[in-house]
Amino acid sequence: MRITDHPILQFEKGPKVTFTFDGQQLEGYEGEPIAAALHAAGIRTLSHSHVKKRPRGFFCAIGACSSCLMTVDGVPNVRVCVEKLRAGMRVETQQGKGVLR
Amino acid sequence: MKKTADAVIIGGGVNGVSIAYNLAKRGLTNICVLERNFLASGATGRCGAGVRAQWGTEMNLRMSMASVRMFENMNEELDYDDDIEFNQGGYLLLAYTEAGWEQFKKNVALQKAHGLQVELLTPAEAKEVVPHLNTEQLLGATYCPTDGHCNPFKVTDAYAKAARRLGVEIYTNTTVTGIERDGDRIQGVHTDRGYVSTPVVVNAAGGWSQDVAAMVGLEIPTHSERHQILITEPVEPMQRPMVMSFHHNLYCQQTPHGSFIMGLGDPTEKPGYNMEASWQFLEEMAEKITWLLPPLRHIRVVRQWAGLYNMTPDRTPILGPVEEVPGFYLACGFSGHGFMIAPMVGVLLAQSILGQKTEIPIEPMSLGRFARGELFREPSVV
Repeated sequence: MRITDHPILQFEKGPKVTFTFDGQQLEGYEGEPIAAALHAAGIRTLSHSHVKKRPRGFFCAIGACSSCLMTVDGVPNVRVCVEKLRAGMRVETQQGKGVLR
Repeated sequence: MKKTADAVIIGGGVNGVSIAYNLAKRGLTNICVLERNFLASGATGRCGAGVRAQWGTEMNLRMSMASVRMFENMNEELDYDDDIEFNQGGYLLLAYTEAGWEQFKKNVALQKAHGLQVELLTPAEAKEVVPHLNTEQLLGATYCPTDGHCNPFKVTDAYAKAARRLGVEIYTNTTVTGIERDGDRIQGVHTDRGYVSTPVVVNAAGGWSQDVAAMVGLEIPTHSERHQILITEPVEPMQRPMVMSFHHNLYCQQTPHGSFIMGLGDPTEKPGYNMEASWQFLEEMAEKITWLLPPLRHIRVVRQWAGLYNMTPDRTPILGPVEEVPGFYLACGFSGHGFMIAPMVGVLLAQSILGQKTEIPIEPMSLGRFARGELFREPSVV
């Protein structure tokens, strides 16, 4: 299932591009939220809670809840539900609170 | 509420409860603390939470070195059921001007003479301590590994609990409305919840110390000044020491939780009681800190707030009895470093009030120093 209509965010569905998720090559549409591309590819676990390490999935979808914080192109704590996909992006599941470089 | 007390402490910040605990520990247990809001609601709970001994005057140095040793043993000393979270990751102080560097050399000589473990570092050595530090324009740094960070809410809670166990009464949501005197001598304190008769009043009212002093007709040379702070989202631990630059007038430290906490002094800030957070601070802080610590470009701010420094002309606190008003004691004018010396302030005020010999002579820190012209001129304040 792909998210195409969002009640709040507006995004253009661009051309099909490739990106990586934890080293695995995936496809998505440029300009859609990274989370939409992950969801369409069947990725349901986006992060883990800090203390009990429980899986966290797609939740608020408007950049407010911190459930989808991931490391994108080396930058930690990116809210992938509101970050637009670009070709060649490196999306990674974050270890702990994220490593700042 | 108590009808009579042997001492009343005005102000439920860390210094107020530290004084209360130290008085009770020495046997003066029929005492109370009056707090207008809740404990640590003023400068204590709003401060940057840093603890350092790297000061430039002997008095601040001795006060803070003794306090660091007390923070190290505080959980045990106060039999605290929690943890004050004292984390000694050091302080790295940065020098950008010849004058600043010369001052650092003098400070370190003084600090070493008092037995503090502290070093002068080259920019390359500073980068070893904080690898993500931008060393452009940096002349040198000083580093003391026993400085650090502590939780002001927990420290206040630890003192308050220990004081209560010894019989001290702490009244929150209680506003002092006046101080009664017979001639010059203190008679009691009026509050919105009643009157307490007492021969001793301690003014530990932080940002409002000058207002409390005015209640006994005393004009003290303190004024309050807004200082702002922000805190970021947490990331994995990457910076152990507090990084501080007097030249840029800023400090920044990563807390044990992983958040970065940082503040900035604004030389144009007017005296007053304004505690609003401003967007100007957010912009200036972000600009300066991302230059100094470049990886922070990729971190998000989650909150900002402000609190009051209670400033004195020589940026050194005013401690001890007031000659003109027998029974009236001052513990105020902390000039932005009241939290880190609170353990020793409590000891000294208690000893002074009880007529005991104080561990460090406090007469030099008295109100009288201003009339005598014996000022300290602390060079190292943000």
